[in-house]
Amino acid sequence: MTELAIRAVDVTRRYGERVALNGFSLEVPRGSVFGLLGPNGSGKSTFIAMLAAMQPADSGTIEVFGQAPARTLLRRIATVFQENTADPLMSVSEYLRFSGRLFGVPAADLRVRGFELLEKFGLGPRANDPVSGLSGGMRRRLEVVRALLHRPEMLLLDEPTTGIDAEERSILWRELLDGAGGTTVLLATNDLGEADAVCDNVAFIQNGRVVVSGTPAALKAGLRRESVRIGLTDNTAETVARIAAIPGTGELAQDDDTVIVTTDDASTFVPRLFEAAPGAIRSVTIATASLEDAYFQHVRRRGEGGAP
Amino acid sequence: MNAAMTLARRDLMAVVRSRSQLYSSMLTPLLFLVFLGNGVSHGLQPANLEAGNFTAYLVAGTVVMTSVFSSTFSSASYYRDRDSGLLRLLLSTPHAPRTLLLGKSLAALVIGIVQALVVLLAAAPFVDSEWQYGFAAGMGIALAAVVLVNLMLTGLAQALASRIQSMQGFHLLMNLALFPLLFFSGAFFPIDGLPTWLRVLAFINPLTYAVDALELAAYAAGDDGFIGLGIDFVVLGALAVAVYAAGLARMPKVTWSGE
Repeated sequence: MTELAIRAVDVTRRYGERVALNGFSLEVPRGSVFGLLGPNGSGKSTFIAMLAAMQPADSGTIEVFGQAPARTLLRRIATVFQENTADPLMSVSEYLRFSGRLFGVPAADLRVRGFELLEKFGLGPRANDPVSGLSGGMRRRLEVVRALLHRPEMLLLDEPTTGIDAEERSILWRELLDGAGGTTVLLATNDLGEADAVCDNVAFIQNGRVVVSGTPAALKAGLRRESVRIGLTDNTAETVARIAAIPGTGELAQDDDTVIVTTDDASTFVPRLFEAAPGAIRSVTIATASLEDAYFQHVRRRGEGGAP
Repeated sequence: MNAAMTLARRDLMAVVRSRSQLYSSMLTPLLFLVFLGNGVSHGLQPANLEAGNFTAYLVAGTVVMTSVFSSTFSSASYYRDRDSGLLRLLLSTPHAPRTLLLGKSLAALVIGIVQALVVLLAAAPFVDSEWQYGFAAGMGIALAAVVLVNLMLTGLAQALASRIQSMQGFHLLMNLALFPLLFFSGAFFPIDGLPTWLRVLAFINPLTYAVDALELAAYAAGDDGFIGLGIDFVVLGALAVAVYAAGLARMPKVTWSGE
């Protein structure tokens, strides 16, 4: 039986009238990289805050390493928030010393490990620079270094790569996954490509509950082979209905003037598309089915749900 | 306790690195003492004060005023920490909010005490203070009063900061609450000659007891007309413990996306 790092059963959390989590259930195997995917406001950050004992659940059960979330568990957990937490008045190394002490890292270990991690994440030469002088990408890397400093058994990453470019993102993930061997990683993101690349398992969340979960491969397996993204000049319901009626059309999702259709053979579908909706097509892009398509199938089926 | 000390060290470092805040918080009370003290002493020649020396009289009040401003500015660091994201990190550590609050308040306490003592020591050579119990004992009494008043004001500022979402609102409320308390504490004018209703207000004002203890330590030549050190320290001690405990009771709130 797989050992679980996180187990949530029927968790509910309200902020006044708004329901952030609504019957949220999830199991995260120990040592896995698990992606929580959903649109903004779907409850990802709230769930992470609960795991870090920073928010209580109104009802339901949450277990982290078999226990209810508690401050005492936080020595074994590190959280990277959407926002930077580094104090701009400190230097990079001061910030790491400060954070390390709060997590009980011995002084000698702090120096050695801090230096190693800074080098690994390309921040070694900036160790004595003020945090305020770092670029956005460097600050995000510093957040990850800070999180890894006390050798956590679980990393809670809340959109850790928001606002950084592709190269920075690639460096960050390469080093993070290399340095976090055996650590359970829970990644909350709305970047489906990122989750597809790094996660062993993912769960799609919508309106505060898990819609579906599994490995990216399993979620994509049920899809048709190809995905056709159609830019429309005429996005009326009639046009979309005509596209849906084309033989060979699998799942169809609409987001304003874009329609995504899955199909087994785009080469026969596309000519039929131009016949079915003449003058209504602005652009057509064909791609192999991705996690984004799986997301569209499960979460945004036929225009439901918000932007991922 | 290590976590509290780590946090206190960091807050002290932040103040030392904010040079403008550091210098202005030290210089403002000294300038106040020099200009207002000399201005009133020579311009109005207050008859109720010994030899008309308002500067010497003003030292105790200025020390208390320094503590008021210091506690306000120090507690405003919650808002800076919240806005910079640091408060979120603090809440994700294994330490209880009370430990974190203790660390931050220790820093505020040290800053307030140092600033108050700088005013007291800087003014000592230039004003005709009596030090009726001797300089060493007088400084000991003054230090005790400064510690207690800073403990009380830090607790008050902390309690308010945890309940008020905006820094502007916090400053407004602190000014609204503390300026009247300063005025009717004997900090700027003796309370003896005030109308009865103002004297009643002065006696229920905790700052009155801090000013009284400081006046007795440094300025007064005798105990006549003063409340007395015994009562001063009983009132200040009780309030300092109660208000500081209230200040440690609640952590400022961090909001979550979607909340």
